[in-house]
Amino acid sequence: MQQQEIHNFLLNYFQANECPILENHLGFITVQLTIELDKELMNRPFYWHYLEKTGGVPNPMILTFITNKEAAPEKLKGEIIHFGSPRLHQIFSSTKNLSRYIRLYENHPYHNSQTPLLPWLCMNLKISYQCDRKRDVFKSIGLQLINGQMVENFHDRLQQITLTPKIPDYSFTLSPLVKPKSGMSRIEKYLRSVIESEEHSWAEEARMRWNQDLRLLDHFYEDIEEENESYETEKKALQEQYEPKINISFINGGLFYLTEKAI
Amino acid sequence: MSVEIEFDSSWQDDFLHRIENDGPWGNWELFKLAIGVENHLVIPEFEGLMAPSHLSNLTPLPHQLETAKQVIENMNGKAILADEVGLGKTIEAGLILKEYMIRGLVKKVLILVPASLVTQWAIELNSKFFIPAITQRKSYVWEQCDIVVSSIDTAKRNPHREIIYKQDYDLIIIDEAHKLKNNKTKNYEFVQNLKKKFCLLLTATPIQNRIEEIFNLVSLLKPGHLGSESSFYEKYKRDARSLNDDEHLKELVNKVMIRNRRADTGIEWTKRHVETIPIEFSAAEKDLYESITALKSEGDWLQTSSFSVMTLQREACSSREAVFYTLKNMLQKKENPTPAFENQIQYLIKKVEAVGQNSKAEKALELIQKVNDKVIIFTEYRATQMYLQWYLKQHGISSVPFRGGFKRGKKDWMRELFQKHAQVLIATEAGGEGINLQFCNHIINFDLPWNPMRLEQRIGRIHRLGQEKDVMIYNFAIKNTVEEHILKLLYEKIELFERVVGELDDILTKLEFGNIEDHLIDIFGQSASEGEMRIKMENLSSMIEFAEEMKKGDSHAAAGNS
Repeated sequence: MQQQEIHNFLLNYFQANECPILENHLGFITVQLTIELDKELMNRPFYWHYLEKTGGVPNPMILTFITNKEAAPEKLKGEIIHFGSPRLHQIFSSTKNLSRYIRLYENHPYHNSQTPLLPWLCMNLKISYQCDRKRDVFKSIGLQLINGQMVENFHDRLQQITLTPKIPDYSFTLSPLVKPKSGMSRIEKYLRSVIESEEHSWAEEARMRWNQDLRLLDHFYEDIEEENESYETEKKALQEQYEPKINISFINGGLFYLTEKAI
Repeated sequence: MSVEIEFDSSWQDDFLHRIENDGPWGNWELFKLAIGVENHLVIPEFEGLMAPSHLSNLTPLPHQLETAKQVIENMNGKAILADEVGLGKTIEAGLILKEYMIRGLVKKVLILVPASLVTQWAIELNSKFFIPAITQRKSYVWEQCDIVVSSIDTAKRNPHREIIYKQDYDLIIIDEAHKLKNNKTKNYEFVQNLKKKFCLLLTATPIQNRIEEIFNLVSLLKPGHLGSESSFYEKYKRDARSLNDDEHLKELVNKVMIRNRRADTGIEWTKRHVETIPIEFSAAEKDLYESITALKSEGDWLQTSSFSVMTLQREACSSREAVFYTLKNMLQKKENPTPAFENQIQYLIKKVEAVGQNSKAEKALELIQKVNDKVIIFTEYRATQMYLQWYLKQHGISSVPFRGGFKRGKKDWMRELFQKHAQVLIATEAGGEGINLQFCNHIINFDLPWNPMRLEQRIGRIHRLGQEKDVMIYNFAIKNTVEEHILKLLYEKIELFERVVGELDDILTKLEFGNIEDHLIDIFGQSASEGEMRIKMENLSSMIEFAEEMKKGDSHAAAGNS
């Protein structure tokens, strides 16, 4: 993530959370936090607890983030933000937490007749292939809840469509034939079958490394006859180190009502 | 091949609940941002390093990056990092830790380091790597904090020990791991019983010279890598010194160990300037020294005492206080001293009392005033240390003492005082280890250590990455004394100062001459007389010369083959 991207990301994040942007210049931004965002980011529960008990005037913080030290004024006070900074990662996880589930409608141009909108279940997920190393794949799957059509890269496709949180005029939604719950398990099943058909040489290699180290370990302890606690500890450590696993984790998802030709 | 797939469905109910109740629903902009974030955080490949892009306050050097990559990709996260002093092993360990954290493979971490380095480790991890490492001060820290830095001496004691064994650590880092070379110690046992999923052992001392130490250290990291104890010692003699004669063993060890050398890093180091400063005794000092030397002809006086004449001679070259302290000890420790013995000591004490000045201290003062910058003085003797502090204060120069025995907090405090307020730091030998002082570039070796290898550690405190100036080393030696002779032998013959000890060790191991440290300890610690010392030293230096020629021959042969 380049510094300019970080700058834009921060701007988008605070705007989306309705925080007034007090300054926005090359190299830095200053924002007035809302009460909600102060609670979300500033980690001062005692202050807010005290305020609510005493009925004082809330005074959420003003923050300045420096996204480019060279471009920002020299004496400016603020937090320097870069890709590795803990603050940015806090905002990253806040971004994910604040908007995990969503429901949107296509804002279509057909105002002449009543337009049906079809329900889609969208799930954005991360597949992690893990042994003593790790690699991730991002997946965005869309499932049409009437005919069961499954679409990959669904999130990218949504970018081509204007969406709105309120149902547009002259529109009605079709009820899903596939229940959302079974839609979710269809997506899970689909992903499992995709993964199973992949080639997993990484896992084979990890098992080989594991076996190799296990053999060494057995050899090391072969002189010692009685039950040995450190042998068991080491063995468990090897399992944790090498055992190949695949984790599918959920990022966010939602219901999208789209016109027939949208996807 | 089938791999277990774990599908996280903890969110499902939450999602279904919202569908049922029609909300609350999130904001589309944030939803899209979250996907954008995720795309930045996804780890695209098993290989490669993600960490550098997260570290804006740090530009790792090529050898450090290469080391981190090696450890993760080829050593499966279990390695001995054995770079020469000052090449940034901490940075390497930090890079590896950060990489594993970014990849989500490591969460809970235990970092065991010498007490004097606990704070420094925590500060470096926080400031350079943005890793929230906590120093262990309360016992609940083990459970509540993910990344804890502690001294091994604290960790191995109860109640800590039991709590630590209950934690599920993903990565264990041990600094100064060469201290674990003996498998009979409590520390070794403690570390052996820790569960080590990923593990880094850091050591600056080359371990490849003693077969037993190698076996113990490697077995700690990866039991069985060198076979079981019995099969190993069947194959290699326990007292064998070098593994270089066994290509197979060397190869095995290199699979779990990385050792970068200064010469290989391609970094331009600041220079070392070494200056020997000869000093004349005053009449009274000379008289004391000569009276001590005369003891040698006193026959069995020597054998009945555990203190050698040479000890006293060397002390006399440092300060009268050092001599006095030893003399007092000799009197106290001797059971039923003969009147002759007591007389002898009293006679020497009179000589001590006659000394009115310290020629070296005067020279040191002059030098410190001339340098007009921060200076570290090393001395072997506590008595000298105290005297120097007093003496410098008399002349308006602020100094702080430093000893190995100081508690962690005190060491940090002293370092800080030296950096911010005092001009001089006076350290005894044990204080030489485990503290980085690269903001200073002058060292005075007020007297010489018994183990000359320690000189490298002394210099290593300031001649390391981060030192921006040339390093000045002043060796004090009193003319026509044992001290001057040692210095001549040691530093003019093998030019030890200007070299890095590791190179010498390499040469010697190649020829199975053993470890240079052992030779030097033997020569300077065990020799009964200067004559003996000289002869042994001559032997060592001719061995080295021979070795060097062999090495040259080697590299020619290598060039010829390519």
